[in-house]
Amino acid sequence: MDNKGSSQKAGSLLLLLLLVSNLLLCKSVASLPICPSGAVNCQVSLRDLFDRAVILSHYIHNLSSEMFNEFDKRYAQGRGFITKAINSCHTSSLSTPEDKEQAQQVHHEVLLSMILGVLRSWNDPLYHLVTEVRGMQEAPDAILSRAIEIEEQNKRLLEGMEKIVGQVHPGVKENEVYSVWSGLPSLQMADEDTRLFAFYNLLHCLRRDSHKIDSYLKLLKCRIVYDSNC
Amino acid sequence: MKENVASTVVFILLLFLNTNLLNGQSPPGKPEIFKCRSPEKETFTCWWKPGADGGLPTNYTLTYHKEGETFTHECPDYKTSGPNSCYFNKKHTSIWTIYIITVNATNQMGSSSSDPRYVDVTYIVEPDPPVNLTLELKQPEDRKPYLWIKWFPPTLVDVRSGWLTLQYEIRLKPEKAAEWETHFAGQQTQFKILSLYPGQKYLVQVHCKPDHGFWSEWSPESSIPIPNDFSMTDATVWIFVAVLSAVICLIMVWAVALKGYSMVTCILPPVPGPKIKGFDTHLLEKGKSEELLSALGCQDFPPTSDCEDLLVEFLEVDDSGDQQLVPAHSKEHPGQSVKPTHSDPDSDSGRGSCDSPSLLSEKCDEPRANPSKFHTPEGLEKAEKPETNVTQPQGPQSTSVEGKIPSFHASGSQSSTWPLLQPPSLHYSRSSYHSVAEVRKLGLGTAGAASTLLDKTDTRALKPSQTIETGGEGKAAEHRESESFRSKTDQDAARLLPQDKTPLTSAKPLEYVEIHKVSKDGALALLPKQNENSSRAEKTSTPETSKEYSKVSRVMDSDILVLVQDRRAQNLAPFEEPAKEAPPSLPQNPAAVDLASFPVAPSNCRLQLGGLDYLHPTGFMHPFQ
Repeated sequence: MDNKGSSQKAGSLLLLLLLVSNLLLCKSVASLPICPSGAVNCQVSLRDLFDRAVILSHYIHNLSSEMFNEFDKRYAQGRGFITKAINSCHTSSLSTPEDKEQAQQVHHEVLLSMILGVLRSWNDPLYHLVTEVRGMQEAPDAILSRAIEIEEQNKRLLEGMEKIVGQVHPGVKENEVYSVWSGLPSLQMADEDTRLFAFYNLLHCLRRDSHKIDSYLKLLKCRIVYDSNC
Repeated sequence: MKENVASTVVFILLLFLNTNLLNGQSPPGKPEIFKCRSPEKETFTCWWKPGADGGLPTNYTLTYHKEGETFTHECPDYKTSGPNSCYFNKKHTSIWTIYIITVNATNQMGSSSSDPRYVDVTYIVEPDPPVNLTLELKQPEDRKPYLWIKWFPPTLVDVRSGWLTLQYEIRLKPEKAAEWETHFAGQQTQFKILSLYPGQKYLVQVHCKPDHGFWSEWSPESSIPIPNDFSMTDATVWIFVAVLSAVICLIMVWAVALKGYSMVTCILPPVPGPKIKGFDTHLLEKGKSEELLSALGCQDFPPTSDCEDLLVEFLEVDDSGDQQLVPAHSKEHPGQSVKPTHSDPDSDSGRGSCDSPSLLSEKCDEPRANPSKFHTPEGLEKAEKPETNVTQPQGPQSTSVEGKIPSFHASGSQSSTWPLLQPPSLHYSRSSYHSVAEVRKLGLGTAGAASTLLDKTDTRALKPSQTIETGGEGKAAEHRESESFRSKTDQDAARLLPQDKTPLTSAKPLEYVEIHKVSKDGALALLPKQNENSSRAEKTSTPETSKEYSKVSRVMDSDILVLVQDRRAQNLAPFEEPAKEAPPSLPQNPAAVDLASFPVAPSNCRLQLGGLDYLHPTGFMHPFQ
């Protein structure tokens, strides 16, 4: 079931990517129309794309951090969730660099694809997070509003990243690698403790992954746009 | 059996414990990891606080294991970060990974472990303060001077690769100030300060914060003295100028507002209103003729055989050049025509009112019946200042004199002042005017001058009526006034008074005249009032037969002004110099015009008759119009 769903999703994403690649190929390499269709003269520089991406990733991490702290303060006090939230993020299967040296050794294209993978891995969980937080009793507005905002901004960041990828190395067929999230049943558990832990875990992993994306993007920006001289 | 064994074991254990306790040794207390920090997101350090050591040398070890691993490691470096610390270098540091760290305390007696601490390096980043803080005063020629602050990021932090993004904040204060002034500098490593107080020494500090971390400590203070000649900004100068000019404008506006009235009056002096002193217009309005007439000194009214008709005609002096006297009607002579004048029918026709400044001040509330009033031309009205002098209490009599003099002099070519009644009161002073200069002197002089005048007047007591020779102005005589010129002392007045009285007692019945007109030079043309009819008839058509009483012979104590005929001036034409006849000679028909009764002056009744008495027309204009 999961495999079917994931393969369907992979197929649809692949189709989308093909379309994008075709569009890119149709144009000349020198002038890559990053702008929406119809505006031929619109061209956004790589610097601006990276600046915007960094702003978005920074913002998403701030929101995630606040959301986690709010949840921790409100629901997770004294429950010892942190002890259980070890090695439980679904994106850990994506092998990403764990420190600066490793990140600096990774080629920027690979790094970009990693970023994309992580971003895509969060599309689904974010959607369900919003749904489930709404369904919580006494849905805390601080958490819900942030969840909605993160979902929105994540989509925008994804689009931006895809544009960057299109500019950095156009025409490369990308492997759509991302992690599938299977934590939905836990979010819908009847047992409050289990459910709360599921939320806690999700928010914890979101905080971490958003920080990861932010760090990678800043590294890439300084490396690509400023030639490692920020 | 078993119980015996158990109890024995317990006993032994207790013994052992007691022995240990007696020795003071115990296993170590539980240590606690209280802080873990990463200065650059590449390494980190954890510090622990040891518990009670139990009296024995205690060994501390730190063990950890990472998320996703099962293998337990021990702290790679106990030294670098000081005692009771564990330093994880780059090799041993993984970001986005949870470390589960535990400290074990071991001594001879036992060991104890701390609670595990879950550490993710991602969220414990706290850099060192920025380094190389430099301050420089820059004073470019065509721009404002400023303080240029520069610094460098902490040495360990890798900003170039973008691994950490730092934001800075500086703060500065004058050395002696209490509070810091903080400025956020963003990601730049320099800052310009424009507003500085010259002559003080400034202290500056800077600290930084990673994009998702904690603020560092403040850097060590850097100081710089600001020289005294640190120029003010242009804005300050302009603000100063603007404020100054605003203040000046406000002062000018205020001065204009205050002095506006006096300025306006200087330019457009108000029209003076002639007044007859001592005449109570209220009585007239009320129509209490008896009181009026009694005030005027008439014994009976309607007049008896001996008492002539009170020539209570209200005169309206028109300064327009028409010297026609307008005989005002008393109540008893309603039929008498009123000569039209230029005056407006309304009460306050610009001739002044009871409250307008005039030489006569009618602040008296006592009813004064004075049907006759002599209007003076308006030109005489410059009495604002004299008025104030006039209204002074009795003491400074000279000042009243002085007050009148300037106005007197100031009178135009119109008739000069009418030396009207001399009040029987001993409190009024009169002045004799001999010349303008003297008048002036009187006006400006002090009491001494008044006394001087008194002397003068006394010497000329017997002279014929003297006129004030002011630019050709004729005037009625007031030689008599000199007689009764009051010094400040009442004794003099008392001395003089009997003189006045005697003529009165021996005088034949008074003849009441009708004031026909006032000549240009202030002489009153009076008509003898034989009877009502005749007086009416002769009003203006028989000037040649009119006897003109233009000299005041004396003032009777009953507030009656005794006028004498001026034989020389028979015409009503503008008078020449009035004759200076012997004042003592009683005229055939002394005309007595009893002016308003002059009450003994209380201080509130400030009738200062310095020989310039003006009847106020407005009061009696009402009933006759």
